[in-house]
Amino acid sequence: MIFFIEFEIYIHRWFNKIIKKTVEGGIMDKEIILKTVGISKSFGSVKANKNINFFLKKGEILSILGENGAGKSTLMNILYGLHKPDEGEIFINDKKVEFNSSKDSIENGLGMVHQHFKLVENLSVTQNIILGQEPIKHFAIDYKKSTAKVKDLSKKYKLEINPNSLIKDLPIGIQQRVEILKVLYRNANILILDEPTAVLTPQEVMSFFKVVENLRDNGVSVIIITHKLKEIQYLSDRVYILRKGEITDVFNTSDVSAQQLASSMVGRNVVLTSEYKKATPLDFDILKINNIKVKNNQNLLAINNLSLNVKPGEIVGIAGVEGNGQSELAHAIMGLTNVFEGEIIHKDEDITSISVKKRIARGMGYVPDDRQKAGLIMPFPITENILVGNHYNPSYVSKGIIQKEFLINKSEALIKDFCIKSDNCLSQINELSGGNQQKVILAREFDRDPNFLLVSQPTRGLDVGAIEYIHSCLVEMKNKKVGILLISMELDEILSLADRILVMFDGQIIKEFTHEEATDKKIGYYMTGGAKND
Amino acid sequence: MNFIGSIINTEFFIAAVRLSVPIILAAVAATICEKAGIINIAMEGMMLIGAFFAAWGAWLTGNPWIGLMFGIFAGTAMGLFHGWATIDLHMNHVVSGAVINILGFGITRYLMVLVFGHPGNSEQIPLSLAAFRFKIPLLNKIPFIGDILFNQTPIVYLTIVLLFVIQWVLKRSAFGLHLHAAGEHPEVLATLGISVKKIRYIAVGFSGTLCGIAGAFLSIENGLSFSEGMTSGRGFIALGANTAGGWSIIGSVIASLFFGAVDALALRIQVLNIFDIYSELFLIFPYVAALIAVGGLVFKSNPPKALGEDYQSE
Amino acid sequence: MIKEKTANLQNKLINFIIIALFAIGTFFVIGGVFIGWSLIVIALIFWTYRFLKQEDMKLKNFLNIIYLKIKFPAFGLLLSFLLGGIIMYISGYNPIRSYGAMIYGGLIKNWHITILNSIPLIFTGLSIALAFKGGLFNIGAEGQYYIGAMVATWIGLRVNISPFIIIPVIFIAGFMGGALFNVIPAILKIKKGAHEVVTTMMLAYIAAILSSLFIKFNGGNPVTSKHAYITDTIFESAWLTKFDSIIPSANYRLHIGILLAIGLAILVQFFLYRTRLGFLIRVVGESPQTAKTQGISVPKIIVLTLCLAGGIAALAGVTQVLGLDHKMFENLNAGYGWNGIAVALLANTSPIGVIFTALLWGALDAGGQYMARTVQTPTSIVEIIKGLVLFLLLAKYLFTYLKKRRKV
Repeated sequence: MIFFIEFEIYIHRWFNKIIKKTVEGGIMDKEIILKTVGISKSFGSVKANKNINFFLKKGEILSILGENGAGKSTLMNILYGLHKPDEGEIFINDKKVEFNSSKDSIENGLGMVHQHFKLVENLSVTQNIILGQEPIKHFAIDYKKSTAKVKDLSKKYKLEINPNSLIKDLPIGIQQRVEILKVLYRNANILILDEPTAVLTPQEVMSFFKVVENLRDNGVSVIIITHKLKEIQYLSDRVYILRKGEITDVFNTSDVSAQQLASSMVGRNVVLTSEYKKATPLDFDILKINNIKVKNNQNLLAINNLSLNVKPGEIVGIAGVEGNGQSELAHAIMGLTNVFEGEIIHKDEDITSISVKKRIARGMGYVPDDRQKAGLIMPFPITENILVGNHYNPSYVSKGIIQKEFLINKSEALIKDFCIKSDNCLSQINELSGGNQQKVILAREFDRDPNFLLVSQPTRGLDVGAIEYIHSCLVEMKNKKVGILLISMELDEILSLADRILVMFDGQIIKEFTHEEATDKKIGYYMTGGAKND
Repeated sequence: MNFIGSIINTEFFIAAVRLSVPIILAAVAATICEKAGIINIAMEGMMLIGAFFAAWGAWLTGNPWIGLMFGIFAGTAMGLFHGWATIDLHMNHVVSGAVINILGFGITRYLMVLVFGHPGNSEQIPLSLAAFRFKIPLLNKIPFIGDILFNQTPIVYLTIVLLFVIQWVLKRSAFGLHLHAAGEHPEVLATLGISVKKIRYIAVGFSGTLCGIAGAFLSIENGLSFSEGMTSGRGFIALGANTAGGWSIIGSVIASLFFGAVDALALRIQVLNIFDIYSELFLIFPYVAALIAVGGLVFKSNPPKALGEDYQSE
Repeated sequence: MIKEKTANLQNKLINFIIIALFAIGTFFVIGGVFIGWSLIVIALIFWTYRFLKQEDMKLKNFLNIIYLKIKFPAFGLLLSFLLGGIIMYISGYNPIRSYGAMIYGGLIKNWHITILNSIPLIFTGLSIALAFKGGLFNIGAEGQYYIGAMVATWIGLRVNISPFIIIPVIFIAGFMGGALFNVIPAILKIKKGAHEVVTTMMLAYIAAILSSLFIKFNGGNPVTSKHAYITDTIFESAWLTKFDSIIPSANYRLHIGILLAIGLAILVQFFLYRTRLGFLIRVVGESPQTAKTQGISVPKIIVLTLCLAGGIAALAGVTQVLGLDHKMFENLNAGYGWNGIAVALLANTSPIGVIFTALLWGALDAGGQYMARTVQTPTSIVEIIKGLVLFLLLAKYLFTYLKKRRKV
């Protein structure tokens, strides 16, 4: 299948080149219908968008490429009226516009299809499409007219749909069509698609490509936000690269290679000061996963035949863009989700169906990615956050009574060892900074002397100092012969820490690198779905 | 069998319908409010306040219709209060409901003494809405159903009409569609520029209105006065009816009718003193039935997805 | 070395003296001997002096901290009384005379009634506070009260043995009854997701009906009995000790149930904050995700929490029967459930706080009754004041809650 897509892309681009040559001028002369000048937006201390200038031409398909946290969603939400920019202006057809709500954006011809669909699942296709702009007859919704309109749109844009199906009965690919129809129903001529193929199967992706081309042929201009190179190459005329909140590059798609795009996306690497120390792992597996399949909340396969192993004394890094099954993997390993098929083996014993409590007792530690919801109890003091998980340890709790003195001493020792900045060990966790909160979790998990550590997004939202510190902690653990599985969306982090790097895409491990082999370009390429058969 | 026939006869069904009316109104109130995403456990308190104000109005002016207006006004006010606490103050929905119930008891007791000079029962109202019973011509000639449904008192008719209107609005109007979305996935409405806040205020306010009418039924149509605690847990049974009915109007009505019937049955057994001293035991029927229904032991529990979740608009 | 040991011993001795003074003083105060306050004050002075020395704090700072903590609740209380006074005035009653009578009646003349009123409220308040800490709403506490009362009456009418055996047995049986009564809501919640507000409420109404029947079968049959709707009196061996057996000048109705209630509050506080189980309950209530991630079985804890809460609420009924009434009445509108909720919410679900809010509620009721008898202001103004206090103090929590949310 993938082979086929590669081939198609090649033919398509060649074809496009010929068309361009014969229709000289082509895109070049088209007018600009959307332009932003100097858009900036901060959330607290985080600058999500920095001085964004870009433009969209009429009839164009534009891509915006960037990693997680690059600021794509923020920018699109600003265009769609869901956020107000701190600075900067938006122009539609050279007229300055201000959006106070999505209503304004819609009125100006903008439409957005979000990555997480905004559909009401137990309503029908028609109902979702007309929501907010229902045709009314005798005070009631005119469903006859609505259905007719939906059918017309469906035919015009070649988006096959059954108006009466309920959303929850439709496969994701068809649900996406409903979202697109919703936008077209409101006479949008600028369509923003946020990670449109993130949830599609390969076949659905092909249909999707056709849909977008159809839209363009019908006069709709399209902006696609994505991290997948295939889409960019196949569909778009131009690409903007968004990195750490800024536009860093712009290309004509036909002039640039996949490798160049991938490199541009991850940027020139500034390797962190934590020196990489080569691992000397022991000669057995502390954790082994055999061909597991895990379903997600929508009952689809989030993990599809995944295998990996971790040895004591090495850090195995899982690189990938968010949404490719990482959180399901973490939950499956720790026992928070059921494994549908396959096995998880810890220290040569099958732990696939044992409880979370038992896994922790076996020496498996977990640093969850949502530290506030799943790692800590926010309004509780540091001491109690250290206690949780240790509550069956006889030093902490004897005969059912919490050993206060021990707990305080232990907490203070950990605070000292991990340089946690707090007034005292009885301060509430929600008074600490993000970095210090994370340190508490690490302190708790490390203090249990784990033999295996699953660490997910450990430095998300933290400052450089905290990042450095946490990385050094992980290296120390590695030297103590703990097997560490590191899941991270930060490529820098993986590159500076991991002994082996596994790239996760679409619920599978598609490529493995050793630390020496790995470069940001190569990994970036696979993170974006690069040839699985390479 | 004559024995069963003496219990379950036309009189029984008439009583069942009458006893269901307040439950139906409160259950539908819960349905509307919760469909929009706001948990409402305060029906008991809202009904009680509605009952008191209705009795007060009817007693004060001698006109039970004014009493009904009083009751409607009071119920709506309580509903909006719950809305304010949950929507604007972002209070926990259940806590707000509990506070309203407490306030309901407290306010009615205070006003009782203030207006009537003593707690317990209010003065009898000079004219009850029951006096305005009328038959609907033609329809009331239908055997059996005619006596039960079409020879009734005003609020019963009002309820029937309201049910049709509400069902129509929910199923066929644009507002009904928006309300459904507000309880399932409020962000969808935000992305379409529709105000979730407005929809929820309307829903919770109207649920208060319905509870006010339910309370009025108890004090000035089904009776001649207000007595403390006269709602007897109907507000909570109504909650059970809504859950059992799967958060739909038709479901709530059927479940409420069932509870009403159970209530009527228990009362008849008591009145006819069939089991002597044990007759009282059957009064637990409606509550047991509600327990079984809410426990999902009969129907599956399928609340609106975003029910009870605090919604923050930027 | 020896110096350390003697210092340690000295410390322990001082601790003992402070606690003893507190306890004896409280005992006297409860019994209506108001000189007991002086003992309490002395103990407070000792304690404060030692606290300041240990923490190396100045008196000024200490008072400031207390001021900050008390500022809001005190302000809320004052405001509600002010508004209550305005309402009284508008309705034609004299607020100054009314409040005067209320304060005198509730806090001095009928102090014993305040205490008696507060006893069941402390139990139900604790029950609801405990459940709340576990993230659950045990609104049907009143039903559990009836269960406890029924168990106590049943045993008390039939078994006549030494109080040292029968009283603990009844307490345990009552507790178990209440706990078992909440098993159904608990299981329905974990298996079917049924909301405990509805299930406990339904069971509460069922319990009320059952208790009415129970009374008829235990001496209250309106047809045959001399005291209709009231059970026979339980054996004296099951009566809780009265205060006047220790402090002769105490009111003849005052019983040691108050000590049991205060003791339970301290126990619950200790349970929640110093034991593993209590800790797990709080973790599940505050952050069920974290609980799951750290291997805690959330369903098991939910069942445990509801059953404990049920048992504690049942003790309210037990103490009422064994201590005050010595029989069972059909007091269906006592509102122990709803008042218990108010008491728990006002105390911000703190177990020790429940003692004080229950006393406040008890004082309002006792004072209100005295005011009605002497100044003819109706007792229902107390309901309004209670409503105002509830609303204003909850609004304060909303205020700080909102402030926190803005920060995030």
